[in-house]
Amino acid sequence: MAKDPLAEAGFYFDELNKLRVLEPDVSQKTSELKEECKEFVDKIGQFQKIVGGLIELVDELAKEAETEKMKAIGARNLLKSVAKQREAQQQQLQALIAEKKMQLERYRIEYEALSKVESEQNEFIDQFILQK
Amino acid sequence: MTVATSLNSRAVINSTTIHHEIENIAAKGTQTYPFYYVFNYQAFYIRSHKELVSCVGWTTSDELYSCSEDHQILKWNLLTNDTSLVVRLPEDIYPIDLHWFPKAIGGKKQTQTEIFVLTSTDGKFHLTSKIGRIEKSVEAHKGAVLAGRWNYDGTALITAGEDGQIKIWSKSGMLRSTLASQGSPVYSVAWGPDSDRILYTSGRQLVIKPLQPSSKVIQWKAHDGVVLKVDWNSVNDLILSGGEDCKYKVWDSFGRLLYSSSSHDYPVTSLSWAPDGEVFAMGSFNTLRLCDKTGWSYALEKPNTGSVFSLAWSADGTQLAGACGNGHVIFAHVVEQHWEWKNIVITLTKRRTMQVRNVINDAVDVLEFRDRVIKASLAYGHLVVATSLQCYVYNSRNWNTPLIFDLKEGTVSLILQTEKHFLLVDGAGLYTFSYEGRLISSPKFPGMRADILNAQGVSLSNDTIAIRDKSDEKVILLFDALTGKALGDGKPLTHKLEVVEIALDQCGPSTERKIALIDKNRDLYLTSVRHLGREPKICKMGSMILNMAWNDVANILCGIQDNQFTVWYYPSVVFTDKELLPKTLYIKDGSEFSRAPHILNYVRTKVTLRQGDGSLVYSSVPPYPALLHEYSTSARWEDALRLCRFAKDQSLWACLAGMAVANRELTTAEMAYAAIGELPRVQYINFIKEQPSKESSLAHMLLFSGQVQEAEATLLQAGLIYQAIQVNIDLFNWERALELAVKHKTHVDTVLAYRKKFLQKFGRKETNKRFLQYAEGVEVDWEKIQAKIEMELSKEREKAANASVRSSLASRR
Repeated sequence: MAKDPLAEAGFYFDELNKLRVLEPDVSQKTSELKEECKEFVDKIGQFQKIVGGLIELVDELAKEAETEKMKAIGARNLLKSVAKQREAQQQQLQALIAEKKMQLERYRIEYEALSKVESEQNEFIDQFILQK
Repeated sequence: MTVATSLNSRAVINSTTIHHEIENIAAKGTQTYPFYYVFNYQAFYIRSHKELVSCVGWTTSDELYSCSEDHQILKWNLLTNDTSLVVRLPEDIYPIDLHWFPKAIGGKKQTQTEIFVLTSTDGKFHLTSKIGRIEKSVEAHKGAVLAGRWNYDGTALITAGEDGQIKIWSKSGMLRSTLASQGSPVYSVAWGPDSDRILYTSGRQLVIKPLQPSSKVIQWKAHDGVVLKVDWNSVNDLILSGGEDCKYKVWDSFGRLLYSSSSHDYPVTSLSWAPDGEVFAMGSFNTLRLCDKTGWSYALEKPNTGSVFSLAWSADGTQLAGACGNGHVIFAHVVEQHWEWKNIVITLTKRRTMQVRNVINDAVDVLEFRDRVIKASLAYGHLVVATSLQCYVYNSRNWNTPLIFDLKEGTVSLILQTEKHFLLVDGAGLYTFSYEGRLISSPKFPGMRADILNAQGVSLSNDTIAIRDKSDEKVILLFDALTGKALGDGKPLTHKLEVVEIALDQCGPSTERKIALIDKNRDLYLTSVRHLGREPKICKMGSMILNMAWNDVANILCGIQDNQFTVWYYPSVVFTDKELLPKTLYIKDGSEFSRAPHILNYVRTKVTLRQGDGSLVYSSVPPYPALLHEYSTSARWEDALRLCRFAKDQSLWACLAGMAVANRELTTAEMAYAAIGELPRVQYINFIKEQPSKESSLAHMLLFSGQVQEAEATLLQAGLIYQAIQVNIDLFNWERALELAVKHKTHVDTVLAYRKKFLQKFGRKETNKRFLQYAEGVEVDWEKIQAKIEMELSKEREKAANASVRSSLASRR
């Protein structure tokens, strides 16, 4: 096969008969590479996006976990203090109960004294009627 | 984290409600406790300060100043529920204690502009004006000044510091002296009632130190922990202390323990006497307690306040303010006070409302007042209510139309009632009013301090007012209730010892008014209030008497004697027949009452007592003695005899005997004495009856009551010289008999004859010089003497007969 002088000179015609200085297959490969590169870049971009989302998600999760943790600690503390509060409340109520009990005792004594007076008076009335 | 946030959010809510949100915590803590005197708390608090409140002080009864560690001084107006900032103190002043300059001194208003002393942590105290301007700052102590207190007349200020020193300052803040210094901080200090002594804390001990350098210091161990607070009341002279051992205690001014509380959960951080000394308030962590002066507790509140660091009563004793550790200022007032009289029960339900209940028909009336009720009294069918501006007088038959009159000064501290009128005591003086609201009198005396009078030191009857002199407690001042002037010659009644309690009897004519008094040795005495000429006899009635009360309708006295309850059915018997007194007693064993009962009142046949633990007990007394008193005053002796025969009670007979003798009712007296087996007395009465003349029998009546001098005077006045001499002879009063005989130049031989006979009988020799002297010149002839005596007696008989004829003639004419 006789060599194309143009080819020898490094000139080629492509399908559209345009003059080219690059070999058609090289050119084709180049464009293919270009395509591929583009695809690769796209893919990488996409990957980055996904990973970003993932990181964001994980971050969010971490944050949430942190708050939940805090909440748990708080709740635990609250529980502890509630127990203490209850204790204090109980103490207060006990004091109030003791006070009431003392009052009850006073009432009881007063009632007894009054009952005694009543019986004395009844006795007196009976005696009075009998003697009359 | 969340806890913190939730707390923060609450704080925000609270801080936005600074002045307006009033939280009533009474709803859950209301206690109804129908007692003769019952107290209750209605408390509300207003959030204000950002840091703990350290001290509070009242200017008027409706205005309070509070200081806090946020450097603010706030003013609280209770009428408008308004709070305003008085001043913001410099950042370096952390206030600790505040005390207002005393307002009134002995009834006189202070002219000086109102100031208060503010002590702070930097060792200074600041005299601050009402508008919050610091007039003067004085470097007083090293370390914080923990307390600053004016004395009662405002002439001196005392400060106590962390450095253990106590210093006295003049009114203007000049150092007078360092009264004491010790190694530990002085946490609290209080003035004695007369401003002549101070009380301060020294670790676990309390110290009473007189200002006079040479006087004795009293020091005693008071608590098992550091004592944090003390207070000393000027009316009842009692001391309060509270400490880190979580107890509060009540002491008398000699350091004797009267009450010790059980241990609380937290240290007692504040204590304060109400001005009238009837109650006090105690503050601790989340705790507010109202106690009786004898120590037991009326009410307990558990407000959410943190520790109550300081408590202050308003001058009228109706409101209490507390400085709380969480920045609150808590206000409380006393309600549910209770009065009983016969079938009427009155309760102070709110500050301005009273509920009247008639127990017989359960009828309920509600009384509304314009102002706060400060004092009230219910007795003798009348209710007297003193509010801050007016006095209301209700008749128990009509609760709708009270009689109202204005009061000059707003702080009535005592109301006493009798059947006809009532007595009001305020800071300025004493006033008696009739139940129609008319001012009857206003007794005054030099050195009067009406603000510290209490019910033990004042007594009122229908015609007389008795007041124990505060400057000399042996002296009782007596006034006519109708004129306000001193009784008789104006000389007060003086007892040999300090008098603790006085009480006038309530019935009978004013000429026979008697006063019962208990002295420092706890002996009970009775004496007459009105007397002619001579000093009245002060007769002892009993010993170990803790307290006493007169009956409202008869002159019957009851008292707590040692550990028994005693009723003197007829106390005046000591003036006529002293030996009869033990027979007129009605004694009940005290075992039915527990520790230290105190008589509240004695109405008709019911005695109301309060025991040491605060419970009320009642005791009934037989109704007969009161009836007997009635018969005796209306001279119905037949009825009296019938009553005694019916009751078959020895003590009643003894009373009747005493009454009959006092009224010279010999026949009744004879029967009564016979009934109790007092035969010598019966005989003597018969002897009196046989006396030839009125004078003689009168003299023997007087002799009967042991009034020898009066009897002799009566006889001499009637010219019955021999009889007077004979009386003295009969009493073996030889010297006096001879003196009379010599003086009147008659019957010297009679005296000598009897003397001789007497000496012979006992086998003794004459040693008396005077008798020896007269025996020389006089011959003793018994026959002659007998004849002379017979002559004297017949002369007397004749005279008496003439007198009776004359009097009957005169009456006929």
